[in-house]
Amino acid sequence: MANFREKDYWADNEGVKLFLFRKRLDDDRKRPIFFLVHGSSFSGPGGFDLHVPGKPDYSLMEKFAGYGFDVWTMDHDGYGRSDRTDGNSAVMNAVPELEAAMKIVEAETGQPSAAFYGSSSGALRAAVYAEAHPGRVTKLILDAFVYTGKNAPTLIERAKKLDQWTSSNTRKIDRDFVHSIFTRDKPGTSEDGVADALANYELALGDTVPTGTYADMCQKLPLCDPKKIKCPVQIIRGEHDGVATEEDLLNYYNALEVRDKQFIIIPGQAHVSYLGVNRARFWHVVRSFLEMPERVDDSGL
Amino acid sequence: MAFETAPDIEAQEHWAKRGDIDLYIFRKFSPSAQAANPGRPALMLVHGSSFSARTAYDLEAQEFGEYSLMNVFASLGYDVWTMDHEGYGKSSRTDGFSYIRDGVADLEAALPVIEKISGHKSACFFGSSSGALRAGAFANANPQRVDKLVLAALVWTGEGSPSLIKRAERIDEWKASNRRTVDEAAYEGIFSRDVTGLTIPELPKLAAAAEMANGGGSVPNGTYIDMCINLPAVDPTKIECPVLIFRGDHDGIATDEDVLGFYSALPNKDKQIIMMSGQAHNTTIGINRHRFWHVLHDFLTLPARIDQ
Repeated sequence: MANFREKDYWADNEGVKLFLFRKRLDDDRKRPIFFLVHGSSFSGPGGFDLHVPGKPDYSLMEKFAGYGFDVWTMDHDGYGRSDRTDGNSAVMNAVPELEAAMKIVEAETGQPSAAFYGSSSGALRAAVYAEAHPGRVTKLILDAFVYTGKNAPTLIERAKKLDQWTSSNTRKIDRDFVHSIFTRDKPGTSEDGVADALANYELALGDTVPTGTYADMCQKLPLCDPKKIKCPVQIIRGEHDGVATEEDLLNYYNALEVRDKQFIIIPGQAHVSYLGVNRARFWHVVRSFLEMPERVDDSGL
Repeated sequence: MAFETAPDIEAQEHWAKRGDIDLYIFRKFSPSAQAANPGRPALMLVHGSSFSARTAYDLEAQEFGEYSLMNVFASLGYDVWTMDHEGYGKSSRTDGFSYIRDGVADLEAALPVIEKISGHKSACFFGSSSGALRAGAFANANPQRVDKLVLAALVWTGEGSPSLIKRAERIDEWKASNRRTVDEAAYEGIFSRDVTGLTIPELPKLAAAAEMANGGGSVPNGTYIDMCINLPAVDPTKIECPVLIFRGDHDGIATDEDVLGFYSALPNKDKQIIMMSGQAHNTTIGINRHRFWHVLHDFLTLPARIDQ
């Protein structure tokens, strides 16, 4: 089993302390940066560096560190170890937060840009960051993404509680809620023990998360403009993911002006693909995209 | 994807029969690569309108790098097959047009031969241009024979297709004779019709020489006619296996909307559409073909689901 080197960092976004976490193989080689952006309901290390007792290979950070990437994630305002302000951590708040994080990444690694992966509202965060800072984002992977939200079963359900999401900047989470994330689309797409391991991690750090991304996904979509993306894009969709319709995502894909773009549906996967039963298929397509050989021409075509 | 041509690639020639028509089948594999990568499937490569099989997929141009898709995938451990359809290459020259439906019948004749020789009852299929239509229509009719389907340079309805609008201007010519000449000038036109600079300048000469050596100099008109007036030739709703659609950025054979419509209609959710820059219509012999190899290999090696 590979040995990993991990380290905590802290970024500052106008006085808000933001937790960063890094994992890579235990050597001094310079490696390509892969930055993971979390979604609405759990933190970066909680979701991306999860360890499930008795079940191997749940840490996405370790998997891609093992492939040779220098893997980073962060907790956005109000999540995990980061400061918990009275803000609601809306999607657009992630832009200055990710920029604060990338300044740390650049200072530590000498690399000013990274491949970005985001899941669910993490995909929205990553996409708006790529729009605002195209020089920072070499490749963009949007998983469990939603564009306009039209006819999305999950968002239709979520919008029924819009008053709750807008009347407070935080919402309570508990063990049952964490379980519901893995069962709401299709029970059986994740293993027993995963939800509990995630709940154990998150609830030890707090029992609230901000409501900003929930409110955004119910009333402010589209937040992303595909025409402003300048790097190669991979869109990944779990077959059973209710956060968007296939049609909605294909409209986003079709509107992307970049010509290196992929749209991949993975059967047997629901909303949280990297913690699903078939996550090996998810790793495979992500790695393939990240390791795409370079073009040999400079024709500009 | 680090790639090196295996030193022990074996080549075999076989024949299938469809009525009175002799159909040439060609196979390449590497025993050492297969031993190193056990379980790699059979890969059937289906050629398009203007090249016979080995011009398209086994082009010898070593001074310019590896141009044989068969060599590449044999070196990765696949059992690689291709065939000349009726009227192409070493297969029988008939007075037929070798329409897409004839290509399906050719493949239906070839698969039992492949099964008898290799034990493979089914294969992963790759087709480019009208080869994608042949492979797709074959998958419609013979789903049990197709494990995975890769469609490059695909066109579905043809609506708004720049290449097909141009091609249809000569429909009377395609229908007036069952064959047309393919020479260096014809290949120059094919490689430059979308954009110039994404194939090496020597490619038309190399392709023309290969096509002559493979028994050609002329090809049937059936697929050209089909693509002008008989689309759609493939029904996406009747494809049961996983599908990868590979589309070159500069390919004028179809519009993005047409290809996305096909993708959207596929019922099997194990599906990918990958658009790539630096590619035109002939992705397998373009200068950035190594990126296509990468995508094809990764689709074919996608881990199996563990929940079924």
